[in-house]
Amino acid sequence: MTLKNLSLKNFRIHKKSDITFSNNLNFIVGGNGQGKTSILEAIYIMCTTKNFKASSDSELTRFGGNEFEIDGKFEDLTEDIIRIYFNKSDNKRYYFQNGKQLNRNAEIIGKFPIVLLTPEDHSLTQGYPAERRKFVDSVICQASELYLSSLLDYNKTLRQRSNLLFRLNENYSSSLIDQLEAWDEKLINTGTELIRFRMKFVLEFEKYVEESFRFIVDDSEKPVIKYDYLNSYSGDSIEEMFKKLLIEKKDEEIRRRSNLVGPHRDDFIFLINENELKIFGSQGQHKTFQVALRFAQYFYLKDKIGRLPIFLLDDVFGELDSKRAIRISQYLKQVGQAFITITDFANFSFLHKEEDDAKLLITNGEVSYA
Amino acid sequence: MNIAEPLLAAIEEFNKFPGIGRKTAQRLALFLLKRNEHEVKNFVNSILDLKSKLHFCGDCFNLATEDKCEVCLSPKRDRSIICVVEEVSDVISIEKSNEFNGLYHVLGGVLNPLSGVHQDDLKIKELIKRASNGETKELILAVNPDTEGETTSLYIAKNVKHLGIKVTRIARGIPIGGDLEFADEATVGRAVLGRIEI
Ligand SMILES: [Zn+2]
Repeated sequence: MTLKNLSLKNFRIHKKSDITFSNNLNFIVGGNGQGKTSILEAIYIMCTTKNFKASSDSELTRFGGNEFEIDGKFEDLTEDIIRIYFNKSDNKRYYFQNGKQLNRNAEIIGKFPIVLLTPEDHSLTQGYPAERRKFVDSVICQASELYLSSLLDYNKTLRQRSNLLFRLNENYSSSLIDQLEAWDEKLINTGTELIRFRMKFVLEFEKYVEESFRFIVDDSEKPVIKYDYLNSYSGDSIEEMFKKLLIEKKDEEIRRRSNLVGPHRDDFIFLINENELKIFGSQGQHKTFQVALRFAQYFYLKDKIGRLPIFLLDDVFGELDSKRAIRISQYLKQVGQAFITITDFANFSFLHKEEDDAKLLITNGEVSYA
Repeated sequence: MNIAEPLLAAIEEFNKFPGIGRKTAQRLALFLLKRNEHEVKNFVNSILDLKSKLHFCGDCFNLATEDKCEVCLSPKRDRSIICVVEEVSDVISIEKSNEFNGLYHVLGGVLNPLSGVHQDDLKIKELIKRASNGETKELILAVNPDTEGETTSLYIAKNVKHLGIKVTRIARGIPIGGDLEFADEATVGRAVLGRIEI
């Protein structure tokens, strides 16, 4: 799948930009604040409805303006024209597909698979467990509707159960405990489903990360992902472990009025050659791991959904040493359409624009081709 | 705005119906205005009868004109199987399918702590009492297989376990009388995963 054209009106610094893209690599070159990342932001909004940088849509509206518009033409087996319109007065976005307004903006999610690599990805390896769960959940959800529905079911169970814990804390009764046992069982059923999914995913995904690693660094470094579930409690089966932990933590759960057991508290541990990245990893190893995770996500989704995702790489070369940067630029030849922002082409002499690639220069929201 | 008071009142009433907006309410009121008196009286009486002649069955909490509903009174129904549902509307749709010949039990909702619905707000105690009457051999839990419905099923299963009767539930995502052909990928996957016996 490819994005053919993009038109931005009053979006960030872009007053009016009409851009035609290459089906291969699109190098988007410009200094800070010139509007190169805005192009990635617009593409990301079209595919996911989410902002990866801005905290509000007003922030995305050009200074002094009241509305913005994004128009994109996607080509797959069919052609899809997506239009997004936002205006400040109703503070709402409107999504149109081929001229028809969507009932819910969320309908667009999943239609155009996308993978984003940004400098903020440092939190994948250096941040809290929640960041890693979010990553894993988002990748599996993109590939499996079944996982998505289990996850929604599980989150609903957590909300219901924490409400019951709250009531028990206020007013302990055997009748509420009787009901809590049913919610425990529901939590175990759905939670175990999630854990099994994640186990299977990690097993499969690890191979993709290994493959990516081999492209970026030498064979001497072998990445491993360890799924740490249910506080590494040991037991006969996941259900048994889950049950035992719930019994153990019951009083504390009521005292703290929150769900203390389950896959919403799991973590994923990254290792290189048996050394835990978080403890022993160098800056370069962290960066390599983050990049490898995103490339792995790209190829995993490609295999799972049978379509080429769009790959966005925001300022990835700036933080890499030249050896790794060269390798990644080689690796990029294996992906389909990609959008790569860089501050200055001259600093990256190893980057070669092939005939099929495009090089866009962005200066103060104006786009020119080089 | 100058609309005659009786018309305005009728519009307000129709507007309270589920799925009826202001515009439709106005169309319905104007429609009634054009009917003759006899037709309107029939309509009004049928609504009044809904309230005065119908109440809930003392056994299963289905709608009934007598103390007990027609299902419970029928000698042809299999009294050893009870199908547990959330609402009266579920009884109607299962009856329409003509696939079930047992008895019903209407819970009147599902467990939902966030909305303040707990087991004592539902007809669960009554169900457990019925299930222990010696005649009942099987409970089919046909509650909606969403988060709250599944938990309600688990709660009931847990509380009738000691009776030793068979407890089954419909698999998640497959509506009663529903066709696998129309279920999407997610629900079919669920149905396959879902154990039938609890
Ligand atoms: Zn009855």
